[in-house]
Amino acid sequence: MQNILVSLNEATRTVNSGSNKVTLLDTINLNVEAGEFISLMGPSGSGKSTLLNCIGMLDHFTDGGYTFLGEPVHSMKEKNRAKLYKEYIGFVFQAYHLIDELTVYENIETPLLYKNIKSSERKAMVADMLDRFNIVGKKDLFPIQLSGGQQQLVGIARALIGQPKLILADEPTGNLNSKQSGEIMELFAQLNKEGVTIIQATHSESNAAYGSRIINLLDGKIV
Amino acid sequence: MFKNYIKIAFRNLWKNRTFTALNVVGLTAAFGVAILLAMYAVFQLSFDRFHEHGDEIYQVYTEDSGLNGIEANTSKSEPFAAALKEEVAGVEKITRYVSTSVLLSQEDKQFGMSTAYVDPDFFNMFSFPIIKGDKTNPITSESSVVMTELAAKRIFGDEEPIGQTVSILRDEQQVPFTVTAIVKDFPNTSSMGFDIVLNFKSQNEHAYARTIGRWDMENHEVYMQLAESVQPEQFEKSTTDFTQLHYKNEIDNAKRDGFQPNAEGLYRQLKLLPLADVRFANFNQGQVTVSRTMPYLVLGISILILFIACVNFINMSIAKSAQRLREIGMRKTLGANKKQLFFQFWGESILVFLISIGLGILLAVFLLPHFQTLFKTQASLATLLNPSLLLVLILSVLLITLIAGGYPALLMSRLGTLQSLKGKLDVNGKNHLRNSLMVLQFGIAILLISGTLVLWDQVEFMRTKDLGFNKDQVIAFPLNGQLNDQQAIELLRNTLQDKPNIVSVTASNNILGLGKDGSRSTSVLGFEHHGRGVETHMVVVDADYIETLDLNIIEGRSFRKNLASDSLSVIINEAMAKQLNEDDILASQMDLDDAVYSVVGVIKDFNFQELDQTIAPMTLFALPNWNLRNVYVKVSSQNLEQAYTDVKAAWNAIEPNAEFQGSFLNENIDRTLRHERTMITMIGSGSILAIILSCIGLFAMSLLIVAQRKKEIGVRKIVGASVSAITILLTKDFLKLVVIAFLIASPIAWWAMSKWLQNYAYRIELNIWMFLGAGSIAVVIAMLTIAVKTIKAATSNPVESLRTE
Repeated sequence: MQNILVSLNEATRTVNSGSNKVTLLDTINLNVEAGEFISLMGPSGSGKSTLLNCIGMLDHFTDGGYTFLGEPVHSMKEKNRAKLYKEYIGFVFQAYHLIDELTVYENIETPLLYKNIKSSERKAMVADMLDRFNIVGKKDLFPIQLSGGQQQLVGIARALIGQPKLILADEPTGNLNSKQSGEIMELFAQLNKEGVTIIQATHSESNAAYGSRIINLLDGKIV
Repeated sequence: MFKNYIKIAFRNLWKNRTFTALNVVGLTAAFGVAILLAMYAVFQLSFDRFHEHGDEIYQVYTEDSGLNGIEANTSKSEPFAAALKEEVAGVEKITRYVSTSVLLSQEDKQFGMSTAYVDPDFFNMFSFPIIKGDKTNPITSESSVVMTELAAKRIFGDEEPIGQTVSILRDEQQVPFTVTAIVKDFPNTSSMGFDIVLNFKSQNEHAYARTIGRWDMENHEVYMQLAESVQPEQFEKSTTDFTQLHYKNEIDNAKRDGFQPNAEGLYRQLKLLPLADVRFANFNQGQVTVSRTMPYLVLGISILILFIACVNFINMSIAKSAQRLREIGMRKTLGANKKQLFFQFWGESILVFLISIGLGILLAVFLLPHFQTLFKTQASLATLLNPSLLLVLILSVLLITLIAGGYPALLMSRLGTLQSLKGKLDVNGKNHLRNSLMVLQFGIAILLISGTLVLWDQVEFMRTKDLGFNKDQVIAFPLNGQLNDQQAIELLRNTLQDKPNIVSVTASNNILGLGKDGSRSTSVLGFEHHGRGVETHMVVVDADYIETLDLNIIEGRSFRKNLASDSLSVIINEAMAKQLNEDDILASQMDLDDAVYSVVGVIKDFNFQELDQTIAPMTLFALPNWNLRNVYVKVSSQNLEQAYTDVKAAWNAIEPNAEFQGSFLNENIDRTLRHERTMITMIGSGSILAIILSCIGLFAMSLLIVAQRKKEIGVRKIVGASVSAITILLTKDFLKLVVIAFLIASPIAWWAMSKWLQNYAYRIELNIWMFLGAGSIAVVIAMLTIAVKTIKAATSNPVESLRTE
């Protein structure tokens, strides 16, 4: 049981659109073990992003059970939930979502600020990360001065800086050309080898192939 | 963390520099002006607060039943003060008080000195500390004089003043006085002002000796310090017996004439007016009214202006937050909680406010000298530097920052993570707040503009009103020299006689309007006429008075050239004639104590007092050798300036040591309107600032709205909307707000202005055009403000705006 990171039990997500009730995720059952690299696949609107957001606790299931590291997320208070994801989850977005006003260095540093980590420690951690991703020379640039691939690199570095157990990547290469895309996927594979659990949503078969398991979604159901 | 916040705050402010600049400029102007206005208001309100025993000191006045209801009267008779202290319990200390000016000579130099004649208790009651000389009994002797540091410096320079002898002109003689003490220069928040203080008994024959023991000659004010255990109301009640005893005649007469008693059922009652209220008291209209409206109004304007600037800030911050949604969402995803986000955004607001307040203070310091000259005030920023006030100021600044900066920060920190990441913002709810705030802004601006227009109209009305005398061609000045009045007038007449541009010369003991010397006096005379009491203003005049001022005689004749033959004749005004109510007014006589006077003429009513009073009954006397204070010279209308110079030269030749303080009567009238003019300038500049600030807000909102609706505009153009249709589309929402503001503000302005106009016996009629005028000014300015941006948006190429999607 200790190996199970995420466990979904008949998890459902519905929204009200006008007078209609729309089901985005329909009774999902899923276990994710530590060390897995899962690729979520499916056409647009099949519920990939919603599932990622719900697992990442940015969104919540409206029904069913969600256990993260043995803790029942579905019955948790907002505050504890925030604590949990702050500690264990890192996000990577299709549109990178870097903060435009901050430099590369500061963007990577931000999650540590919200974890109240000491300044000297922060410096060391960020320096490590810059080093590891080979972007030391770009640390004082602003996002707008970087290429898309470089921006996503920074986005991944930012997701990793908090040493999360789980990385959620929502179409991480969707805005990139195939060369950049390949590099990013290599990086994910490398990280996965180092022990980070990854769930990615993707349209691309080739990207999905990097994963250890492929889950297909259609109209909110696992098929 | 903190450093990170500061950094991102500065970067953000820089990135949005247009809005930052608009905010900083608006807030700086608002804070700067608010500081100055608050300073002025506080200065006014702190008048006479520096006296240690101030809370126990009162001015004694009476409420008398008269023909026109209750009249308040501060003049008291010579025996009054001593008798009150003797006969009524609770009087700790008491002093009589006369403020006037005297001519003081030291060696060969002469000085006009403003003087207070008081009783010895004066220095124990009021906090005018003596710093040198006799601290216990400085003016007990009738030949001592106390002077302020400033006056001593003026007279003696660096010499030791104590023990020096000066002489003061009294009853045409030089009377020696010894300087016994020097009093510290008092703060400029004192309404009592003097250079020298003399014993009450040192006054001239006319003011003191002749009044000794007489209860019917009232010519000075009385201040008393109440024993600490006694309440003023209690004291007022306990004086009934005193009043009954000493004013039996007056009370009986009032009963006989059928006057209405006051609320307590008394025909004459002693009342106490707290010292701090004296400056704000109005004795002109029956009962005393104490009104601090003016300083509070000024304070109110400063708050309104700050409010407008803060509304701009709130509106802009909320509107701008739409552009920061992604940042908010991302920070939340990275683990920021609400509190952290709130403090981040609030910190940014505080930064803007701190910068603005700092610049605002600089602005206030820079504008201070202009402000002081413009409003003739001595208020300085030091006025605000008292600890408790400073605390209030700091707290209110914190509060403003908390609300104006905190509210948008709260909204932003509350946004949902996913919605903000996706850049979706539910805007509908917030527009209500924005719209109401903008309506309020423009409402305030319109209120102030219409107030300014009405005020200005009223002042123009008063300034240009036909007052019933010739105010354009007559120069008046005080007889402030060494010669006795009659000699001086005689000499002046002889000197000016041959000058072609001088028409006539006369004198009287009153002044029309307010002269350069700023002194005024009125004498009211009461006597019995056919078994009932009548009251009249008493004006003693020299020959040619009626001719000089171009007063109209409706019945009878003017005084003869040979004035001596008319010493028992009087000329009355219409109001007086009405009061005497005689069939043949020219055959009537007035029986005063000393003689019987015959009415020889009736003049048309003219405004010899200010325009907030109706014309009272008045009688002109031609008494010989009377103390005539002011000369009036009528000059020909050709070259007024030359005539003024001639009169001045003539006076300088006659009294080489006296200052010539002449001015045309219309300037005198203008001087009486100083209070109103100050108000116009304050409210007027307030309204200008209010409209500018509101427009800054409007401009910023139009920038943002145009940016937000860029796509909509593009789509509309593609489907065929014309430039004008789009301009109207974008403008009409804002204009709607201004029109609503007008509809709300006008009735309030109407109500407030008609209330204010009640203060004037002679006033303009309010008409709808003044308010429509204010409304149109607001609409036109608002339209010009948004026109630039909207027309630009409407003419832009739709392809460009759609490409951004």
